Amino acid sequence: MHDLLNPTLGRRAALRRLSGILGGIATAPLVSSLLGGCTPPEPTGYAFATLDAAQQRTIAALVDQVIPATDTPGAAEAGVPAFVDKILSEWAEPDERQGFLDGLAAFDARATEEHGAAFAGLDAPTKQALVEAIDAETYAPDAPPADPPPFFRMVKELTVVGYYTSRIGATEELRWNPAPGRWNPDLSLTDEMRAWA
Amino acid sequence: MSHPRDAHAALIDKICTVNLQTTTEPFDAIVIGSGMSGGWAAKELCEKGLRTLVLERGRPVEHGTDYITEHRAPWDAPFRGMEDRQRVQERQFRQSKAGPFNEHTAHWYVDDADNVYETEDETPEEFLWVRGYHLGGRSVMWGRQSYRLAPMDFEANAREGRGTPWPVTYADVEPWYSYVERFVGISGEARGFRQLPDSEFLPPMAMTGAELHTKAAIERTFPGRAMTIGRAAILTQPHMGRAACHYCGPCDRGCSVGAYFSSLSSTLPAAQATGNLTVRANSIVHSLVYDEELDRVTGVRVIDRVTKEEMEFSANLVFLNASAVASAVILMNSATSRFPDGLGNQSGLLGKGIMDHHFKCGAYGTIPGFEDRYYYGNRPNGIYIPRYQNLPWDSSTNRDFVRGFGYQGGAGRTLNWGRGSGMPGVGVALKDELRKPGPWQFVMYPFGEVLANDDNRVELTDEVDQWGLRIPRIVGHLSENELKMREAMVADGVAMLEAAGATEIGTFEDPYRLGEGIHEMGTARMSDNPQTGCVDAFNRVHEIPNLYVTDGAFMTSAGCQNPSLTYMAFTARAVDHAVESMKNGELRV
Repeated sequence: MHDLLNPTLGRRAALRRLSGILGGIATAPLVSSLLGGCTPPEPTGYAFATLDAAQQRTIAALVDQVIPATDTPGAAEAGVPAFVDKILSEWAEPDERQGFLDGLAAFDARATEEHGAAFAGLDAPTKQALVEAIDAETYAPDAPPADPPPFFRMVKELTVVGYYTSRIGATEELRWNPAPGRWNPDLSLTDEMRAWA
Repeated sequence: MSHPRDAHAALIDKICTVNLQTTTEPFDAIVIGSGMSGGWAAKELCEKGLRTLVLERGRPVEHGTDYITEHRAPWDAPFRGMEDRQRVQERQFRQSKAGPFNEHTAHWYVDDADNVYETEDETPEEFLWVRGYHLGGRSVMWGRQSYRLAPMDFEANAREGRGTPWPVTYADVEPWYSYVERFVGISGEARGFRQLPDSEFLPPMAMTGAELHTKAAIERTFPGRAMTIGRAAILTQPHMGRAACHYCGPCDRGCSVGAYFSSLSSTLPAAQATGNLTVRANSIVHSLVYDEELDRVTGVRVIDRVTKEEMEFSANLVFLNASAVASAVILMNSATSRFPDGLGNQSGLLGKGIMDHHFKCGAYGTIPGFEDRYYYGNRPNGIYIPRYQNLPWDSSTNRDFVRGFGYQGGAGRTLNWGRGSGMPGVGVALKDELRKPGPWQFVMYPFGEVLANDDNRVELTDEVDQWGLRIPRIVGHLSENELKMREAMVADGVAMLEAAGATEIGTFEDPYRLGEGIHEMGTARMSDNPQTGCVDAFNRVHEIPNLYVTDGAFMTSAGCQNPSLTYMAFTARAVDHAVESMKNGELRV
C-alpha cells in the first residue's frame, strides 16, 4: 500500500485506491492529509557535516554488514550513513560525538592490525567475520554494562533505527500502512507476512 | 458528493479566531480556556443562546490544516523519532519528560523556557506540569480514555472521614454523563460493573487473541476481577458528522477526520455553528474583575501573548477552564479587599490538595501460544481492569491502603524492529529475524488514586514572568498510602500475568512525580460550604454567583479513572445551572 505515497501514481488513481482500501469511508480531509504526505525519496544531496570521506566509507561498509542487501536493499542504500552523520552532527553531545569518532578510528585500526587494511578495503568474507566477532564480544552475556556504550553498540542501534525508519526499510523490507481503515485483531501469520514498520 | 460530513468538515475547517481589542459590546459569557472543559462550556453556552467569548492563551490552531505531523512517514521525521534532542534540552526540558511527548507531538507542548513555574528547592522529584498552549488545549493531545466515576468514588471521602465530602452524588451527575457521552462518542463494552458504571457506548474495539486469553485467565483465577476493552473517545462508527477511526494509530498528532473527540473536532465547531461564538487566541488571562458593589465578577483582564498589550473584556457570566493549576492562579491573582487571599478562598484551601493519578510501575510478560497470529491496523486503545481493591460492599477486597487502582495496557506484537539493537546478531540473520513480528507482549499498566493532601499545593511566588504574571510554585509528593498501593500495583500485575501463563515476566518501578499523569486536579475543590472548599455543588465559586470553575480544579477526590469525561459532564451541568439561574432571576443579568 506504500505505493499510495508514490508521487508518480496519479492523484485520481491514488484517491480511487484509497477509497477502496478504506471501504468508502475516505473523507476529503483524510485523503488530503495522506496525499500531503507525498514526498520524494531519501534526500540524496545530504551534506555530511561530521564524517570525512574515509569515515563515510568505513561507516557505509560497516552498516551494510549489520543490515546487508538481500532481496531488499541494505543499510547503506537506505541512507543510514547520512542518518548517522546527522545524529553525530545535530543530536549528539560533543563528548558523545568524539567518543564515536574515536571508536570508529579504533575499529579501523583493528581491521588494519588483524587483516592488513582499513575496513572498507577488506573483502566481503573478512568484513563479515570481523563484524560477527565484534558483535559476539559486544553482546556476550557477560559483557559488562558500559556508559557510554561501546562503539559497536552505538553503530548497531543507529543502523537499526535508521534502516527501519527509512523509506526502504519501512516500505520494502517491512510493511508500512498510514491508513489501514479497519482493525482486524486476529489473522493468520504466514511465512511471507512481514512485521508492520 | 453531498454528505453531512462534508458540510461539517467545511465548518470545522475554520474556527475563526479574531483579534478583538477592548470592546464596548459586552458578551453574555466569557470562557477562559478552550481545552476539554472550556470547549464544552463554549458549546453549551452558545447553544443556549449566549454570546460567548472564548479566551485561549496559546496560538490559534486550525482543525486539519495544522495537524502537521498527521500520517507523517517515519522517514520524514528529521530525527526519525529520536527527538530534536538539542532543542528539547534547551526549550522543552520539562515537557519532554511526559509520556506522550515525542518528535511527532513536540509542537503541541509548551516551551519551558517561556512558560515558567517553580518547584521546591533541591527536590529531585519535582512536580511536572505538562501543558499545551494552543486552541483546543490538551484535548488535542489527550489519551482519550473515558471512564465514569462510580457512586463509591463520590462517597469515599464522607465514608472514610477523609478530606472534604463531595456535595454531589453519582445520581446527580449520571444524566450529565449520558448527555456528554451521546455527543462525544465513547466506544466500549457495557459490563454493568458496580465500580465502573457503563457509558452510552458506541460499538467496542475488539481484543486480540492474547488479550482474550489473558482476560479469561484473570476472570477465572481471580473472582471479582474483570477485564474489558478500553473505553475511548474514538469513534468506531460515524457519529455526529465525524468519521469513524481509520486505525492509523497515533491520534495525538491530530486527526483531520475528527475520529477522536477534541475541542477542535467537536465542541468548538458546534459552538461556532450557533453564530454566538467568538474566539480570541493569544489571550493570557491575568485576573478577573470583581465588583464589590455588584457582588459579582464583571470581566476579565487579558494580556496579549504576542504584543503584551493589556485589555479587558466584560460579561455577565464567567467560566474558568484554564486547567487546575492555572485556574487557581487566576483566582489568586484576582484578590480584592473583600477576598484578600483570592476569589473563592475563604477556606484558605485554594491551590491546596492538588491530586493526579500515579503510575509508571507495573509488569509485563510474553503470552505464548499465539505465534501464528497477527493483526491488521493500529488500535489506538488498550484494555481496562477496573478497580477491584477496597470495594465498600466487599470487605474481602480490603488492602493495607485505602482507595485503589485499575489497569490499562494490553497485548500486541509491538516489539518489532525495536528489539534489534538489544539482541546479538548481525547480517542476514539479524535482518531475517527483524522481518518477523515480535513476541505477544502483555503490559499491565496500573493507574492509582492520589489522596488530597493539603501539603501538595500551588502558590504564587513574588517573581514575575515576561508577561508580568506572578510565577507559580507547585509542590507535590506521594504519601504513604500511594507508596503502599504501588507495591500492590506491581505484585498484582505479576500474579495476573502468571495466571495467564505468561513467560519472561518482568516488572518496572520507575520514579513517578506528581503531575506526570497529566491529570492534575483539585486546586479549587467542591464542597457544600465556603469554609471547606472553593466551589459549590454546581461548580459556582462560593459567594460569587456568576463565576464557575469546571476544569479539574473542582475535583474533591480523584478516583483512579481518567478524569476528562467527568470534567465534561460537570461542565455541561454547570452551564445548565447558570442559564437556569439567569432565567429564574437568581442570577441577575
